[in-house]
Amino acid sequence: MTLQSLTRAWEPMSYGFLDASAKREIRRKMLKAIAVPGCQVPYASREVPMARGWGTGGLQISCTLINPRTRIKVIDQGADDSVNAASIRKFLARVSGAPTTNDALEADLIQSRHRVPEEVLREDQVLVLQVPNPEPLRPVQPNMSIARQMHADADYGRMWLQLYEQIVRSGRVMQGASYPSLVNGRFVMTPSPIPRWDVPKLHMARHLTILSAGREKRLHVVPPFTRVEPLVFDDVPYRVEDHGGLTCQRSGARGYFMNEIPQDDGSSIHEVSDSDLGVKTIRRREGEAVAIGATWYENGEMTS
Amino acid sequence: MTAHPVPSEFETRTNATYDALMWALSRPGLIRALPGQGPAQIVEALIDRECAVHCADTDLAALVARTGAAPVAPEAADHLFVSALSPDLPGRLALGSDLHPEHGATLVAPATLGQGARLRLSGPGVDGTLEVAVGEVPDGFWTGRDRVLRYPLGFELFLVDGDRVLGLPRSTRVEVL
Repeated sequence: MTLQSLTRAWEPMSYGFLDASAKREIRRKMLKAIAVPGCQVPYASREVPMARGWGTGGLQISCTLINPRTRIKVIDQGADDSVNAASIRKFLARVSGAPTTNDALEADLIQSRHRVPEEVLREDQVLVLQVPNPEPLRPVQPNMSIARQMHADADYGRMWLQLYEQIVRSGRVMQGASYPSLVNGRFVMTPSPIPRWDVPKLHMARHLTILSAGREKRLHVVPPFTRVEPLVFDDVPYRVEDHGGLTCQRSGARGYFMNEIPQDDGSSIHEVSDSDLGVKTIRRREGEAVAIGATWYENGEMTS
Repeated sequence: MTAHPVPSEFETRTNATYDALMWALSRPGLIRALPGQGPAQIVEALIDRECAVHCADTDLAALVARTGAAPVAPEAADHLFVSALSPDLPGRLALGSDLHPEHGATLVAPATLGQGARLRLSGPGVDGTLEVAVGEVPDGFWTGRDRVLRYPLGFELFLVDGDRVLGLPRSTRVEVL
């Protein structure tokens, strides 16, 4: 053994920002998370040049998976052009030389904050969701050691009680985002704060979804063709947001998840939340030949 | 124009290896292409001094030793690189605990993919059911696996045939036809 064999050639910085040992650790943890869908796997969560809570978990997964041929798309609440999305996209492109895109159909790797694109993802695509709070039991059990024991026992009675109390108090389930969902019939996970609208898109999907919480140092995975069932009572069906009848004021797209924009006179207008779908709809309306993929929802109804 | 880092040969290889392993485990039964031959590339992509490794092959053990991983008995290993599967092996592996299912072992073994015993797979990652032929796996291994797996406890299996890999996570049900 020589000194030469123990060292590597000097590099100004590691490719993809993370060093090799950080990547190996994330790879090992990701494999275990794929094998046990929905189970929260702790990982080291290294420092990245961004404050924790701004997508560091998703960023570390993207930095591990990226190579110069990976086409990346970054979304923040559906939009490609918000500060958070633009900054993460710029960072990923700068540390990897990977091409970027706004089009969900072209992307190989989609890092997203709190939305799943409206166009159906393919089986070669990876969706990385940023997760602020990976523990679905936290509202009912703040002690994370006890919560882990509850996951080990599949003891989810308090989750049902929480939903029941909401129905008794308000007449319906008040959980707007991060709707607790049972993965592969065993682990309850939070799907990250995606709206209820997006949760059915993870059920038996063709793409791989990786959910990573950098601040909380845990990741979990929904592999392709895996059951993701929102917790519901038999007599109170799961309801997505009632956006089927809304029309986007800018693009004219109809039947997708909308952002509500309050107006001065107290009324409100709507814009399609998936900004690239809106852009493509406008370009098609103006006569360009734009490919819009099949969408999960048509006229506000889930197709499958 | 800012210059961006160029991946080293090592980075390119380990990235491609992990990509194959990730998709092999995400879609059990679909055979993926590794960038090179044999299990050495899996050592490069996954193993470092944080691991406890059991390695049967002496050449590969030298490579594992260079990564700084602790050489341990099969019972204590989080990664195992064996030269042949045996029916009693599943009973000797770490399966994780109820609190930490992720502490189950990862087993890498050679096999012949595409010929041999026919297996029917089902579970997460499989669209309905999938049939795949796997050779060089002794009789009794699959029943041994079946006996010790108590989901979510279990171990992951990568079968390597030259530059091809098949992944079988603990969540996959294997029926021998």
